[in-house]
Amino acid sequence: MPREAEPSLNEKQFVLQALKEDVRLDGRDLDQYRPLELTFGDQHGVAEVTLGKTKVLVKTSAEVTVPYPDRPLDGIFTIATELSPMTAPSFEVNRPTETEVLLARLLEKTVRRSGALDTESLCLVAGQKVWSVRVDVHVLSHDGNLTDAACFAVVASLRHFRKPDTSMEGGVLTVYTPAEREPVPLSWLHSPFCISWSFYGDMGEIAVLDATWVEEQVRVGSCTISLNRHGEICQIAKLGGTPVEAVALLQCTSVALAKAKELSGLLDTKLAEDAKRRDKGGLLAELSAENDR
Amino acid sequence: MASTQHVLLSPAELAYIHASLSLSPPIRPDGRTPTQFRPLVAETDILPGTNGSARICFADGTEAIVGVKAEVERTPGADAVYDPDHAYDTNAGETALEAGQSDWVELSVEIPGVRDDDSGVAFLSAVLSEALLADGAFSARLRINRRFHWKLYLDILLISPPLSYPLPLLSLTTHLALLSTRLPRLKSEGDEDPFFDDDWAAAPHLFPRHDTTTTSRPPITLLVMAAGRNIVFDPSREELAVADVALAVSVVATTAGTGKKGGGRSLRLLSVRTIDPPSRLTPPGVANEANSAYGAKAAGLVAGQGQRQPEARAAEAERVEGVWRAPRGGSKAGVLAALVGKVLEEGGVVDEVLEALEGVDLG
Amino acid sequence: MPLDTSAYSLALLRVDGRRWNELRRVHAQIRTQAAADGSSYLEMGHTKVMCVVTGPSEPGARRGGTTGGAGGGGNNAAEVSVTVVVAGFSSVDRKRRGRGDKRNLELQSTISNALAASLHTHLYPHSTISISLHVLSQDGSLLAALINAATLACVDAGIPMTDYVVACTAGSTSTYAANDEDADPLLDLNHQEEQELPSLTVATLGATDRVAVLVCESRVQASRLEGMLAVGVDGCKQVREILDRVVRDKGRKMVSEGTVERGIGLESMDLD
Repeated sequence: MPREAEPSLNEKQFVLQALKEDVRLDGRDLDQYRPLELTFGDQHGVAEVTLGKTKVLVKTSAEVTVPYPDRPLDGIFTIATELSPMTAPSFEVNRPTETEVLLARLLEKTVRRSGALDTESLCLVAGQKVWSVRVDVHVLSHDGNLTDAACFAVVASLRHFRKPDTSMEGGVLTVYTPAEREPVPLSWLHSPFCISWSFYGDMGEIAVLDATWVEEQVRVGSCTISLNRHGEICQIAKLGGTPVEAVALLQCTSVALAKAKELSGLLDTKLAEDAKRRDKGGLLAELSAENDR
Repeated sequence: MASTQHVLLSPAELAYIHASLSLSPPIRPDGRTPTQFRPLVAETDILPGTNGSARICFADGTEAIVGVKAEVERTPGADAVYDPDHAYDTNAGETALEAGQSDWVELSVEIPGVRDDDSGVAFLSAVLSEALLADGAFSARLRINRRFHWKLYLDILLISPPLSYPLPLLSLTTHLALLSTRLPRLKSEGDEDPFFDDDWAAAPHLFPRHDTTTTSRPPITLLVMAAGRNIVFDPSREELAVADVALAVSVVATTAGTGKKGGGRSLRLLSVRTIDPPSRLTPPGVANEANSAYGAKAAGLVAGQGQRQPEARAAEAERVEGVWRAPRGGSKAGVLAALVGKVLEEGGVVDEVLEALEGVDLG
Repeated sequence: MPLDTSAYSLALLRVDGRRWNELRRVHAQIRTQAAADGSSYLEMGHTKVMCVVTGPSEPGARRGGTTGGAGGGGNNAAEVSVTVVVAGFSSVDRKRRGRGDKRNLELQSTISNALAASLHTHLYPHSTISISLHVLSQDGSLLAALINAATLACVDAGIPMTDYVVACTAGSTSTYAANDEDADPLLDLNHQEEQELPSLTVATLGATDRVAVLVCESRVQASRLEGMLAVGVDGCKQVREILDRVVRDKGRKMVSEGTVERGIGLESMDLD
């Protein structure tokens, strides 16, 4: 099993000492994110997020299937994460590492369990036909803080996604192609965002946002908080590590809330921009009888 | 986790244990008689959330817990037989459905730190379920009516690290758990949808305790081994390490007549499996004559090595007193027969064990 | 089955008759098994878990199903590997969870990381402390019970640690939808409450306010976190008292039975 290369002792010491003096290697403040970029693909539901050197590509797709027998009224919603050897040599195909399992669980808890997507709206015919929405997360490059980038990309992709319109008439289900009817967005309830803190120092007294890969390797603990802009916590995960003062955690939560609102605003603008870009020609252009000749 | 776990014994120690086990009467490392079991602590009904449960601790610290859970399940294909108008016309297809099916019992073995698809675990659960399902009498008890049956889930957990081969422990614990298993009392009649008495105190045991007619008990699987001419029951890990042959023998006891203890009990053999004893993988010892560090022969060996080699090989095959040789090849049919015969002996070990377990049950 | 929370506001009693800040009955035993280096049995209400610790020992071949790797700098510290086995019969409906179950893996890695930070793993380089946990019955607060049991077993195994890692759950009486301000925090939730109410699991280092594990899996107003966390941390202190008593009682019993000799350290130590 290949192992990740660990930073050398000198490098560790250097990073830690710098953090103790409130200095980060890339000159950011302790609670500052790296520049976050979001681009949408030509297709609906494709989102690529770049956070510093971390790059995540997410694609959402939907198909009609049979629901699970124990939940006949709910659509199926799955998030699949894959960390391929392309990301880092320590990841293997078909052999989920701890990082991958924890990332999958975090996304699952943040997006799925918090009820961000209304799965009941995915039901077409009770017990027989439902939409199955599948989100594929591909990590293209890993330079720390995968969770935040992946979560942002998943939410962006799902909100950008359009599923084919359907209608029920006399027990006959019709699924329209994009040419017949404009595809419709998913029934989206709220947008949660992951904010990850890393802790340093003997007592975990130094809290840092958006850690890079090197910073992640020398941290003594981490805490990922998922919030939406309404101030609701969807999930908190501080899975072990050096104990941190409870008060400090509360402080982290309130900073995280502000960050989540920022991210929410950013996503809204990006979505609006994209919608405008797509609408330029839009339906009107297609319907015009004029030819280009 | 196969029976072939690491045994940290030197060839000399192995030879010593084997020699003392081959004496007549054998001397066991822990001073037991050949038929004596290790002392154990047992309790039943430890988990109120299950239909039946038991826990057994051996004196060496190995511990197992078994929980039994039952669910009502529709018997596939039986609805065709059922016709509401002739619900009590019990002739058609009755005999075919009287017996149980083996998929009515699901058995899983969990051993900490071992994957559940490990071959050793698969073997253990195969031996245990084989004993349960061998004669079909057990699954027949799970029949409710022609359309429904109980599905029994047996979860067998080994709590401690596997110090000795856990098969006897798991089997005894399973036996106890099944003895303590109770299923809700059926209130419906015939082939209608079953409904049950919700008074748990009225629930009958799966294996009725004080029955005036024939009583049978769940099967037990015992580990027996042969060393030299002796047959030893319940071998410890060290003893298993020098076994010539080890067998897992499953038996079921049926008591005919009124509760006369031991007297009317007849034993039936359900299955026999050979256990690959770890002794085959132990390193052989080197006799002093062949050891260059000791004898005068060493010099001669070096001198004429080429010519002497075949001779040395012949010496290797020969048994030297006090030098450990791992057993090679198969074992004689007579030995196997003796092992099985010893288990099935009337008033023998099985009777003792069953009586002891019944004692737990009543206590 | 929806939980009837209407009764709570009238009598301020929960479904099982507890008040808001009451723990369920905690019953614990240590040294339950002779073969292991350390072992424990813990009940929190109807949640029952057993723990067996082996080690610190030479690392064997990497065994399947365990999650480990915690313990800091490579080979300079002991690796804490944890296996959680959820028995098929532990819940009301039999549900089999495989070893590869992500929830299970998350539990394992959480326990491993939480203990690795408190155990003095640097004293045992190149070795493994393997903790195997068995869930016999579950009725809420599973992670908390597992952490408590693992801590007790590590104490029994005699592995030096900074302090107990103790855990309990806390919840809030109203769901995320209702934005009422008079929602009460609750301590130590059972399965029914866990299904209906927002809850979190807190583990602290001994009786301090330092939080080792904080896991919240339900939607809750951020403003409610403070109250829940405070109640949880307070609950952890109560749990620590109970666990400490268990350890001391066992120690005193072993001294009086002559199983262990009364050491020099014990003279000065307050055994009462």
